[in-house]
Amino acid sequence: MPGKPVNTATKNERKLNFWERLYLPEVLKGLGWSIRKIWKEPSYTFQYPEEQWYPSDNYRGRPVLVQEEGKTRCVSCNLCARACPPMAISMESREIDGPKEREPVWFEIDMLRCIYCGFCEEVCPEEAIVMSKEYDLTFQDREEAIFGLDRLLVPKERLADRLAFLRKQQNPQFGSTWEYPRENNRHSLRDLTTDAESIQTEQ
Amino acid sequence: MSIIEQLDFSKTLSYWPRHNEAIYRRLESKHAWLEERHHPDDDEAVDPLDNEMILNIGPQHPATHGVIRCVVKLDGETIKKCVLDIGYLHRGLEKLAESKTYQEFMPYTDRMDYLSPYSNNVAWCLAVEKLAAIEVPERAQWIRMIMSELARISSHLLWMGVSLMDAGAVSVFLWTFQFREDLYNIFDEVTGARLTVSHSRIGGLVTDLGEKGIEMIEDFIERFPVAVGEWEKLLNRNRIWIDRVDGVGVLTAEEAVELGMTGANLRGSGVGHDIRRFEPYLKYDEVDFTIPIRTEGDALARYFVRMEEMKEAIIIIRQCLDRLPEGEIRSDDAKRSYPGKDEVYYSMEGLIHDFMVTDTGVCPPNGAEAYHAIEAPKGELGFFLQSDGTGRPCRVRINSPSFSNLQGLESMLEGGMMGDMVVMIATVDPVLGEADK
Ligand code: SF4
Ligand code: SF4
Repeated sequence: MPGKPVNTATKNERKLNFWERLYLPEVLKGLGWSIRKIWKEPSYTFQYPEEQWYPSDNYRGRPVLVQEEGKTRCVSCNLCARACPPMAISMESREIDGPKEREPVWFEIDMLRCIYCGFCEEVCPEEAIVMSKEYDLTFQDREEAIFGLDRLLVPKERLADRLAFLRKQQNPQFGSTWEYPRENNRHSLRDLTTDAESIQTEQ
Repeated sequence: MSIIEQLDFSKTLSYWPRHNEAIYRRLESKHAWLEERHHPDDDEAVDPLDNEMILNIGPQHPATHGVIRCVVKLDGETIKKCVLDIGYLHRGLEKLAESKTYQEFMPYTDRMDYLSPYSNNVAWCLAVEKLAAIEVPERAQWIRMIMSELARISSHLLWMGVSLMDAGAVSVFLWTFQFREDLYNIFDEVTGARLTVSHSRIGGLVTDLGEKGIEMIEDFIERFPVAVGEWEKLLNRNRIWIDRVDGVGVLTAEEAVELGMTGANLRGSGVGHDIRRFEPYLKYDEVDFTIPIRTEGDALARYFVRMEEMKEAIIIIRQCLDRLPEGEIRSDDAKRSYPGKDEVYYSMEGLIHDFMVTDTGVCPPNGAEAYHAIEAPKGELGFFLQSDGTGRPCRVRINSPSFSNLQGLESMLEGGMMGDMVVMIATVDPVLGEADK
């Protein structure tokens, strides 16, 4: 049943009685309450630079690129750059040998534009760009705020929390259960046999 | 025409002086209904303060809750005429939306009413879902409802703290911010960001509400009603507070409807209009709650309405948590919303859909139009969308509650006392990020 409008006013809501009009008791009541709060309340403040806040796994800090075996996972498909609402990402691609076939020559995120929305992470087909837990970024000038591969690449091990979270919260198939054959995750059509073998050994 | 003439920017650069002149002209020529509406000044006693003065309040005045400028003509301490100047926070969101896909625009709605970003996300997604006829799974709808009600509490808490601070009670501000901190922690846990939540997606949600999130919400709805009770004990019978707001900024029901007030300002004047009841969206037609109204239409009535709305929000959240079904959180139609990541990683179709949904997005039929409004904490928040068959909206109009509410502020201020101005602005509860868009 939906809500219904009710005039919930109580009687004498606006009429104060003699004691309440006396003013001083109210002042004392307010003061007493404030003083009680001083003793009873838990502290909600951080001594910030000394005391750091450790965000939960869900937290969207600055986006970083996952580094695996010294290389980026990114295949430079440009999808994150397309999805990024403030257009913070740009890159240049090149073809390489190996199963991934492509990688970025340079990859830049303008951290002054980034709004930490997490769309890049959500669309990336390689789980190559994820949101880290870093939240306190400061810059001296605009040039410094443009992060290149050197500052974006973070080893996979250091992102374990977030990757595990994604596997649990974001990856599972929505809707009807859908069986996925892992062999489908082929990176290259150039050399089918080795690719299938490598997946088999992995399993 | 020579090139020199073409580069003549004098018209553009003189915008500010011309704008200012126009404002003052409008103030001069404005016909105020003061004489008719309020007590005629027939007593002849000479008032030492009896001289007229034009005063600019804002845009940087801390009590204006953002960047609103009130140009007032004072007669002694009475405000004779008032002209509001808004637009200092204009970011062109409506135009910006035309160059973004429906999905890409969603984070921008966080920045409209920054006190309740979740409601804005939901409003936008519901409007797009209506336009493109997308079904949202049950669980996502219930979660959206829980989080929108939390956003309502968060917004009302800020309103309460700030308006009491404007009236002189700074400590209440700190107590309400304690609970806002708890709410921010909940948003952080559930959505991944404290303020700019960006949690709704076209067709559902991005992440599920986990165990920890539910625990935190349950803990919050246990503690919060107790705190509201304490605040009510302190404030409802407090002479200082009641004297300050009783009879200030009165709008009758007719005036409120004529001026287009929405939300708590309308309900404080005795009009029981609430979109949650009259055009139920999400699952609001399945939960039980009351819509508190008052008939006096003054600042005190609006205070009572908002306090009770916070308690109602808790009741709604309880019912939602009880009835939260298991299931999916995003539409299963890969043509209209993102497929699950497993599908993207391990199947070609999933990958194609991932690219298609990002690049072209949902494409509502050519010529489709939709208006969808929700009851945001401040009132009716509606999006009007027009589609031209592409992934980007052809036209977006935002009907923001703060903008509508500010229309009533001018006539509220006229006839009021200068000292009450701060209270009146506070109880109308404008957020300029939303009013200026
Ligand atoms: S979406 Fe992923 S794989 Fe594609 S360019 Fe971006 S980071 Fe690289
Ligand atoms: S988090 Fe959002 S704004 Fe930042 S780079 Fe990713 S998509 Fe762009």
